[in-house]
Amino acid sequence: MTLTFKPKAPIWCAGCGHFGVHTALTHALKAAHVPAHEALIIAGIGCSGSIQNNLNAYGYHALHGRVLPTATGAALANPNLLVIGAGGDGDGYAIGGGHLLHSFKRNPSLVYIVMNNGVYGLTKGQNSPTAGAALTNGEAPLDAVQLGLSVSGSTFIARGFVGWWDQLAALIREGIQHARAHCGFAFIEAISPCVTYNDSYPEWDGKLADISQDKAYDPADRVQAMSRVMRLSEQGKLAVGKILHTTGSTLDQRHNVNAQRAPALQGVLPANNVSTYEAIARDHLV
Amino acid sequence: MDDGMMMASQPQIMDSLCVAVAGQGGDGSLTLVTLIARALADYGYHIYESRNVASRIKGGHAAAFLRAGVDPVPAQGHDLDLLIAFDVEAIEILGPRVVENGVIIFDSSSEPCPMGGLKAGVEIVDVPFGRYAVRELRRDLYKNSLGYAVTCAILGLKGDLVRAKMREVYSRLPANVIAANLAAMETGFQVAGNFGYRGGRSRWQPRTLNPTPKHHMTGNEALAFGFLAAGGRFFAGYPITPATDIMEWLEKYLPDLGGVVIQAEDELASINMALGAAMTGARTMTASSGPGIALMTEGISQAGSAELPVVIVNCQRAGPSTGMPTKPEQSDIGLMTQGANGDFPRVVLCPATPGECFEAGRLATDIAEIAQIPVFVALDQVVAQDKATFTLPHMGSLTINRGKRLAGTKGPGGPDYRRYQLTDDGISPWTIPGTPEGMSLVTGNERNEWGHVDTGPDNRRRMMDKRARKLETISAMLPTAVNWGDASSEIGIIGVGMERGVMRDLTSLLAKQNKSAAFHSPRTLWPVLPETLEFIAGKSRVFVIEHNQEGQLFRLLGGALASRSHMTNITRYDGRAFSPEDLFRRLHEEGADL
Repeated sequence: MTLTFKPKAPIWCAGCGHFGVHTALTHALKAAHVPAHEALIIAGIGCSGSIQNNLNAYGYHALHGRVLPTATGAALANPNLLVIGAGGDGDGYAIGGGHLLHSFKRNPSLVYIVMNNGVYGLTKGQNSPTAGAALTNGEAPLDAVQLGLSVSGSTFIARGFVGWWDQLAALIREGIQHARAHCGFAFIEAISPCVTYNDSYPEWDGKLADISQDKAYDPADRVQAMSRVMRLSEQGKLAVGKILHTTGSTLDQRHNVNAQRAPALQGVLPANNVSTYEAIARDHLV
Repeated sequence: MDDGMMMASQPQIMDSLCVAVAGQGGDGSLTLVTLIARALADYGYHIYESRNVASRIKGGHAAAFLRAGVDPVPAQGHDLDLLIAFDVEAIEILGPRVVENGVIIFDSSSEPCPMGGLKAGVEIVDVPFGRYAVRELRRDLYKNSLGYAVTCAILGLKGDLVRAKMREVYSRLPANVIAANLAAMETGFQVAGNFGYRGGRSRWQPRTLNPTPKHHMTGNEALAFGFLAAGGRFFAGYPITPATDIMEWLEKYLPDLGGVVIQAEDELASINMALGAAMTGARTMTASSGPGIALMTEGISQAGSAELPVVIVNCQRAGPSTGMPTKPEQSDIGLMTQGANGDFPRVVLCPATPGECFEAGRLATDIAEIAQIPVFVALDQVVAQDKATFTLPHMGSLTINRGKRLAGTKGPGGPDYRRYQLTDDGISPWTIPGTPEGMSLVTGNERNEWGHVDTGPDNRRRMMDKRARKLETISAMLPTAVNWGDASSEIGIIGVGMERGVMRDLTSLLAKQNKSAAFHSPRTLWPVLPETLEFIAGKSRVFVIEHNQEGQLFRLLGGALASRSHMTNITRYDGRAFSPEDLFRRLHEEGADL
């Protein structure tokens, strides 16, 4: 047995929503039977960006806003890994917003968990893109779920609440299964309040609408999903539950990458590829 | 036309030849030069091709150049033996460069060839290409095939060979397109005949050299091949002139080898996709030009801190900002050697020829993985996109070195595994994700050996010093300079990248006057190698030739020296390469005793 790093205790404030995400993720990994060495947690910058230090898995601390391209590179280079991106709403929707759009479009087989607290906590309380209109002189907050639904390539969109812990763990588990089965991009937003700078716990119970309570709701129906989410938004509510779950072309399929054909695991000794290299050289003879 | 007057002199033996084809962008100048180049290569000539285009798809003055020689050709060259001009603008811009008794083939469809500014004895072959093409061939596009035959007849190339080359170059086109081009070519032979170029009469007579097949690649292509041959299997990039060719070349070859080329949404994504792939153990590269490299710098700093291997190619173009996208410059030397936040070890290689680009692609990939650092390959637009003949190494002789990567799926072994273990050589053994018991925390934050954040002063010094030691560890792998000329000369001339070829041509120019100098062309920009400082210290006058305004190479070298009072900077930043004559004049102006 080789000793590697020992996961740390979280450094979040007592009562931080991120404890709930951490626990839900730990349970989901266990429930999905993911061996520790096959998981790669890629975290962003911010309070949420230390979650990888607390888990028994491979961890990487990405640059601010670059969780998704980093995770895309890793997942495409070795599709045997379960790649889980995890970051905050500032990281994912502000500085990294462009990448989110393109990840919905590309549909790489990986999980992305955004811990949404509406605030930049680590820099002491500035508004984030999801800050409510009451905090921003009326500027409407960004809804990444609506954004994702509007991109026709997206395949898995869910939202959970750390206060509804068991549902969040189940959504993450389903997201992990979606990515592990190479069905594409599993996007899960976790409403995860910041008790120090934006303590929104008291508000959420009345504002969240759990669509999974509605047995007629069909997550494969994008139009219904969009309509429901937008209608709830008009009523000042946020949809929670598995909002979209469908199939579509994935990045790994389009690049013909799979467990047997992982770029990171190719035999790259020149001696194994001499005839191919010689053929390429011949293409350039005059 | 009087055949007797035209053919008064004997054909000239072709030891070297400079040809330009010019017209509006989209005229197909590049295709015509490719055809001529392929025909000359069949005789065994060494070939060098370059281009001067505007940043637009169609229109604007565009020129393609070809220089052939019995010996390897180092650069584009300035004087033209033969110019094929599809419009008046081409004559105005390039006509004055045609040598005495040279030839201009001019498309006289719409107006006659302007004669002002041309040297004595220049022969004008007026061919109404456009009219022929539209009347006889019904498509303007075929004028290149017509021009190809006219040119080859004037050059004295064998008709059979000329015909076979066209079939070969066009072999992948639809049959009806090939047939139409062949017909255009035959029309071209008739047109040449009307000017007296028939029955074996020509202006040049090619030599029959040893026609050993040679490889013919741009620097970009050769570099991409070097990366692939070194086991490179992941490339992320975003289109930008003049680096896009690298992505396009790899898209053609990498997927068949189980590799991936991904076009990212921007350069921030490119570099970070590359870092994600690098972490999984794939040999990884990205490529861009100055503006894109500027966007990547945070990621490059991350590679330096987190100790991730990645190759970054910078095909430098004229800046600042968007500058002149299709024109060459060497003005990112500061960006590559010093750019990005914080201190971290890095290497910047600067190959100057396609052969060196192949080697640099290969070596950069090895060095990056061995030292777990970012490695730049610095090209300029000339080195990146000019195309020359050379010989690739035997593919069977290539090797790779994976450094301290802990191979296998059984785990790292030993009592413990620390991703950032402190070592004498600064390099820590590493496992890739998926390895049981090899779990690690990889981070750009300062951390302890286990990867846990640690900002204590002792840990900080140990980790910074560990990373800094890597450069010493790999110093023996860094490519040394190319030196030539008279080593004992008091005058030293230094230049990298695109300056190399011009310096070679300058050597020949000086030799004609029985003069020489000591030439030194580094192939590693950073770290500055002791050999370059020794070279500078050993001369009484040193001239640093470079393509930028501020003298970035001069300052880089001068900054490493106690005294630079005997160093002179010769810079150029108008988007054009030096000709050897330009360089000779500039050296004289600066008081070089040459």
